Amino acid sequence: MLQLEVNPAASLDYSSETYKDAYSRINAIVIEGEQEAYDNYIQLGGMIPESKDELIKLSKMERRHMKGFEACGRNLSVTPDMPFAKEFFGELHNNFQTAEKEGKLVTCLLIQSLIIECFAIAAYNIYIPVADAFAKKITENVVKDEYMHLNFGEEWLKANFETAKEELQEANRTNLPIVWTMLNQVAEDAAILGMEKEALVEDFMIQYGEALGNIGFNFREIARMSAQGLSAMK
Amino acid sequence: MFGLIGHLTSLEHAKAFARDFGYDTLDDAGLDFWCSAPPQIMDDITVTSITGQKIHGKYVESFFLPEMLAMRRIKTATRKILNAMSHAQKNGIDITALGGFSSIIFENFKLENSPQVRNVTLDFERFTTGNTHTAYIICKQVEESADKLGIDLKKSSVAVIGATGDIGSAVCRWMDGRLDVADLLLVARNRDRLQELQSELGRGKIMELSTALPEADIIVWVASMAQSLQIDVEKLKKPCLIVDGGYPKNMGSTLKHPDIHVLSGGIVEHCLDIEWQIMNTAEFENPNRQLFACFAESMILEFEKWHTNFSWGRNQITIEKMEQIGGASKKHGFKPLDLSLT
Repeated sequence: MLQLEVNPAASLDYSSETYKDAYSRINAIVIEGEQEAYDNYIQLGGMIPESKDELIKLSKMERRHMKGFEACGRNLSVTPDMPFAKEFFGELHNNFQTAEKEGKLVTCLLIQSLIIECFAIAAYNIYIPVADAFAKKITENVVKDEYMHLNFGEEWLKANFETAKEELQEANRTNLPIVWTMLNQVAEDAAILGMEKEALVEDFMIQYGEALGNIGFNFREIARMSAQGLSAMK
Repeated sequence: MFGLIGHLTSLEHAKAFARDFGYDTLDDAGLDFWCSAPPQIMDDITVTSITGQKIHGKYVESFFLPEMLAMRRIKTATRKILNAMSHAQKNGIDITALGGFSSIIFENFKLENSPQVRNVTLDFERFTTGNTHTAYIICKQVEESADKLGIDLKKSSVAVIGATGDIGSAVCRWMDGRLDVADLLLVARNRDRLQELQSELGRGKIMELSTALPEADIIVWVASMAQSLQIDVEKLKKPCLIVDGGYPKNMGSTLKHPDIHVLSGGIVEHCLDIEWQIMNTAEFENPNRQLFACFAESMILEFEKWHTNFSWGRNQITIEKMEQIGGASKKHGFKPLDLSLT
């Protein structure tokens, strides 16, 4: 009978040059992702004045996460490749900024509260079993917060589902394929860290599909919206 | 609420499924694509008992494909099953049956050691393999079909292929304790387990497949993994009843002889139409009423409000539990698929 690998982290050498090289980009992405989230929540606070205080609280959490991940890099003596990470988030960043200028709150929430949060949760979930002891502890704490952030967007979109539905579908069509392009860009680096692309994609789709379900989409709509992103993976 | 975790039978089936459900963009997707697909609730199901009671359930598609095992993508296969279970639990399903390869994967790769799926701790009480009902139905199919064909069980040799498995060992217990067959021919790969079974039963002949088949009046095929199977029809007894409880089922199409009677094993027919769409993609003659007995087990558990993992672990199935689920099965209008229906 074929055996299941019990401890995937056992074969990783965190101090090897190969690992550290890949980590310099993945770590930078995580740091930049938290920075983007920080900025986005502050901007969202401007768009939803009644939730401003809560959004500022969320943004502060993202700032804390960022500092945690910077410590993870330092712990492995890795310098994060920030220019790479800025470019990595470029397209999503631009789409958020454009939507914000046009007052498209639903699109902004989809990008930050659904796509970026689900992406972060998936990446952290897949990373935790293969992380070094220091990063593992930090990431475990971060992921708990991220579920809360996901919840903010879900709740708002749920309360405004009827008016938001069409824009959500449109924003999904435009932005979900970008996630796959991003994922493909770092698949090799992630594999060196012991994170499999297919597991990342699946985990993302699980979080994302659940969020869409909580907001109010039925299972056929969820499948269709997911397929729009997944078809870019083929 | 009950649940069914199912999967498609092959990559080809997955492509057809994508077309049927209107995902035309996905019909040329390869195995890698399905390896990344998340579990999804694909159907809302309503079942009415002959008692008039109505229950509701959901079908959870795991997107596991048998090719994942063939390609040795074990991690992927196990992840699919765990994610589907987590999905069922998060959706508040009280009792879910693990259909097809799901329970086999769970068992073989000891997934009971991995109850934590992200932020969900799996509560195994909410899941059932459905094997007790499957074993019961197979035994009833043997009993009823033998009678129809004029095969006297008390004078018959019954070969159980896959005898040491969860279903196989239960079938052996019933053949011994309830049907009192003349000879039990035990066939399986693991010799130690065969000897354990033989000593538990206090009877039975341990045999190789090739020597057991020509001696059997009745063959119960419950080997769990898909195997390439070459059976020489000429060497079988005439008449011979074969109950094909394996997965996937393909004997009916390969064994053609007027005195060889092949019956799809572990399938039940409900006396009323079931309200579902998903089974139209399965290969049943009457998809509104026919289904795998393991799936029906979760429905029966829901009807009876026995929200517990009725079938769990390996070789725990007793004759008493088979009678218990069998009684409830009958009460709610399920009956074993019989020869005339195939």
